[in-house]
Amino acid sequence: MNTSAHDEMLDTVAVYALGALPEREARAVREHLRTCAECREEYRLLAPAVSAVGISAEACVDAASAGASVAPPGPLLKKRIMQQIRPNVGEMRAVRPIVWPAYAVAAACVVAVLITSIFNTSLNSQLRESQTRVAQLNAHAAATARELNTQRTAIADLLSPDSQRFEVANGYVIKHGSRLYIAMNALPEPPKGKVYQAWTLRQGASKMSPSVTFVPNGSGVAVVPVPVNAASVVAVAVSVEPDGGSKQPTSTPTFVLKLAS
Amino acid sequence: MARVRAHDADAFEALYDRYHRLVYGVAFRMLGDAPTAEDVTQAVFLKLWSAPNLYQSGNFEGWIVRITRNRALDILRSKAHGQSELPEQQPSEDDLEETAFADIDAGLVRAAIAQLPAEQRDPIRLGFFGGVTHEQIAQRTGVPLGTVKTRIRAGLRKLRTTLEGTVSV
Repeated sequence: MNTSAHDEMLDTVAVYALGALPEREARAVREHLRTCAECREEYRLLAPAVSAVGISAEACVDAASAGASVAPPGPLLKKRIMQQIRPNVGEMRAVRPIVWPAYAVAAACVVAVLITSIFNTSLNSQLRESQTRVAQLNAHAAATARELNTQRTAIADLLSPDSQRFEVANGYVIKHGSRLYIAMNALPEPPKGKVYQAWTLRQGASKMSPSVTFVPNGSGVAVVPVPVNAASVVAVAVSVEPDGGSKQPTSTPTFVLKLAS
Repeated sequence: MARVRAHDADAFEALYDRYHRLVYGVAFRMLGDAPTAEDVTQAVFLKLWSAPNLYQSGNFEGWIVRITRNRALDILRSKAHGQSELPEQQPSEDDLEETAFADIDAGLVRAAIAQLPAEQRDPIRLGFFGGVTHEQIAQRTGVPLGTVKTRIRAGLRKLRTTLEGTVSV
């Protein structure tokens, strides 16, 4: 290669460094650079200048005053890229803890206390209601148990061969030890606003004492324990009285029974 | 870059903060629209993350400029559909172990380029950012091919000399 031809090759090396040679010529230059020290030196000299040309395109925030051609991209591009980076390192790096500012922590605590307080008040109210309800249920259960026990006792007393049975209209008065029962069958339903009421005459008393009120069931049956010590009662009666009972009989008794002493 | 090779995302983020304006600027200058320039920027940095060993040593700025330019040339090629001859991709880092002008300020370079005569500055800019060959430069400017090559070489030598006087090499 003569001097003129080699000078032309040096020019071509400059275009190669700039990256403006077509592929066919670029291949020839690469081959030449392997064997020509002068051209390699020229390339070494010019390549940094070419890089500097690229660097001149760096975007600037104030592009116009800085002589740049473009402003930098927005933060969304970085977010887009980092979103693709972060999932890949999730297993390798610990997640950075979120540090709350002090005022946010204080505000959160106040809110939490308020919520807890309101919640506690609500819970306490619900707890009291529940406790009342439980007490009512317990009382009801106890009353039911007592009633069941009374009924069992009544059945036992009514069936006991030791019981004394006194026939009255529509039924019997049954005495077993200290307990006294009125067992009625086919007893008519009392008039509206009226109930049946039992009366007892204690030994030595001059007049009947008011006792329990009752109504028969749909079949006209009523088995009524009379709350009195049967041993002290000398007479039993039943009359129809206003609902709630009376202090003394206001109607003709359905029956009056004198108990044998 | 050592930390990026170890897949340190924080180091990668710092690298992005430092060089994204350069990558985006080169891509925008070559492609002329922001969305495509952003796509190139994203592709370059994701490539850097997935294959950090592509960069070995030397001037990182010069290396990433070349990577960006080559990526932009790929897009220009895909748009050209083989209708026009495009320049070969710029020599990679395998061809060059340059350290000159590392971390040089872009403003200084712009000032140095501005000092070049237009007859040298224009073909250099057109050759680097235009994605065209020296023959196409000659056709577009109406300047003989030999003259275009001579002016490019003269301009690059002068640019280097100017920058050497501005920064320590």
